[in-house]
Amino acid sequence: MSDVLSKAATVADIARAVSSGKAKASAVIEAALQRIAAVEPTVNAFTDIVADRARKRAIEIDAGRHMGPLAGVPFAVKNLFDIEGLPTRAGSKINVDGPRAARDGALIRKLEAAGAILVGGLNMGEYAYDFTGENAHYGPSRNPHDPTCMTGGSSGGSGAAVAAGEVPLALGSDTNGSIRVPSSLCGLFGLKPTYGRLSRAGSFPFVDAFDHLGPMARSTLDLALSFDAMQGWDPDDPACTDRLADLTVLGLDEGIGGLRVAIAGDYFATGGEPEAFEAVATVAKALNATRTVVVPQAAAARSAAYVITAIEGAQLHLPRLKTRPQDFDPDTRERFMAGALLPGAWYVKAQRFRRQYRTHVLKLFEEVDIILAPATPRSAPKIGQKMMTVGGVELPVRANLGLYTQPISFIGLPVVAVPTRRPGRMPIGVQVIAKPYNEMAALRVSAYLEKQGVCVSAPA
Amino acid sequence: MVDQKPDMGRWVDEEARAIGLPIAPEYRADVIVNLERALVIAGPLLAVELEDELTPLPVYRP
Repeated sequence: MSDVLSKAATVADIARAVSSGKAKASAVIEAALQRIAAVEPTVNAFTDIVADRARKRAIEIDAGRHMGPLAGVPFAVKNLFDIEGLPTRAGSKINVDGPRAARDGALIRKLEAAGAILVGGLNMGEYAYDFTGENAHYGPSRNPHDPTCMTGGSSGGSGAAVAAGEVPLALGSDTNGSIRVPSSLCGLFGLKPTYGRLSRAGSFPFVDAFDHLGPMARSTLDLALSFDAMQGWDPDDPACTDRLADLTVLGLDEGIGGLRVAIAGDYFATGGEPEAFEAVATVAKALNATRTVVVPQAAAARSAAYVITAIEGAQLHLPRLKTRPQDFDPDTRERFMAGALLPGAWYVKAQRFRRQYRTHVLKLFEEVDIILAPATPRSAPKIGQKMMTVGGVELPVRANLGLYTQPISFIGLPVVAVPTRRPGRMPIGVQVIAKPYNEMAALRVSAYLEKQGVCVSAPA
Repeated sequence: MVDQKPDMGRWVDEEARAIGLPIAPEYRADVIVNLERALVIAGPLLAVELEDELTPLPVYRP
């Protein structure tokens, strides 16, 4: 167990110490606020810090109120989550002129009900239309492992805050890869749950068809602790499942016995840099996985995800594109505008195709329990870099860092992004993909890899 | 599948006019670039043939 006041302290370390009376929540929060003040000039993870609120909450916890499995754990959220009293920026300048949130988003309320303490809102790519972590209004979030490099996005501040050890837990959103891409580039464990598993109420939308929320942390146990605290039906999110919560913490030590693990070939074995495939091979070897499967029509799935995203996102923002185009980030504005001009027939075809693709992939999950795939086609590009060469082809960074994540979130499969151990090199992650509602299997694999020392996450 | 590359400038101008989206001259070139990019990325989807019976999955529950 690490010193609970240090940047290496995990969610589990802190909750255990505060619950048992060995540490005060107030001391944990003061230490976190001090780290944030020291590190922010370098990483630019936060856009809002709610220090007074956090201190008040910590005093209440130290007085014996709100005790729970996350007692005293500081956390922060991508700034598309509603935080009571603040504008919900969603990475934009425009939303700052909007109303202040009347109450916290649903997942903040659930984490705080379990004893966690919100310390602030985190930087992100504007309106989540981003894989880089760059933002023209608030500056780029910077990768704590090398501040000249991208964090990945759009949950870039979430990646930076956890990788820098400012907080042990952050929430992000993932529509096409926005939890998994920064988890990969910042060397974190990230969970994108099944579509509909966690409530999105009180968060600013991007593409309702694929929007997911989830945690990013430095251990599998921390993902599981927070995931368990956030599950449950919520009538305020029409997509939220009414299944019973599937608690995962107690199953983490079950190992990988009985799990059939395969490696995604074809689309997922081309188009990336060697380091992306080496990471998959390392994880596969540790799991004794030798079988390769083809995820059918993955290229068309990525294509369809792109089309639905472009059209839904543009439609959402069309009123603002008409009236305040000058206030958009230049890196999203013209992409949104182009999306508004795409044919409706493409959208409907993409939705029809989604049904076919889902059927094929679910069929594949009758033969396997886990599919491994790269999380990103390479490790972190430099901040400001517009083009990258991956698999021998030069491509725009912004549109392509998520080319391996898009076909998976397209049909809402649960994924844990795991960070491979790469001493002296920038991090890169692997997607551990399971069938719908089987987050448990992906978390078991993640916990096993961590126990074997194959996947590790340490603050920079 | 789009067999012949459309006139992207005209596409942007006419469609933007049709939906009432003013596109300032300084944004127009980048909108065209992004539309061309979308056309390339949409290619694999547009190439797929779907059975008539394949309807989208309903998400609305009355």
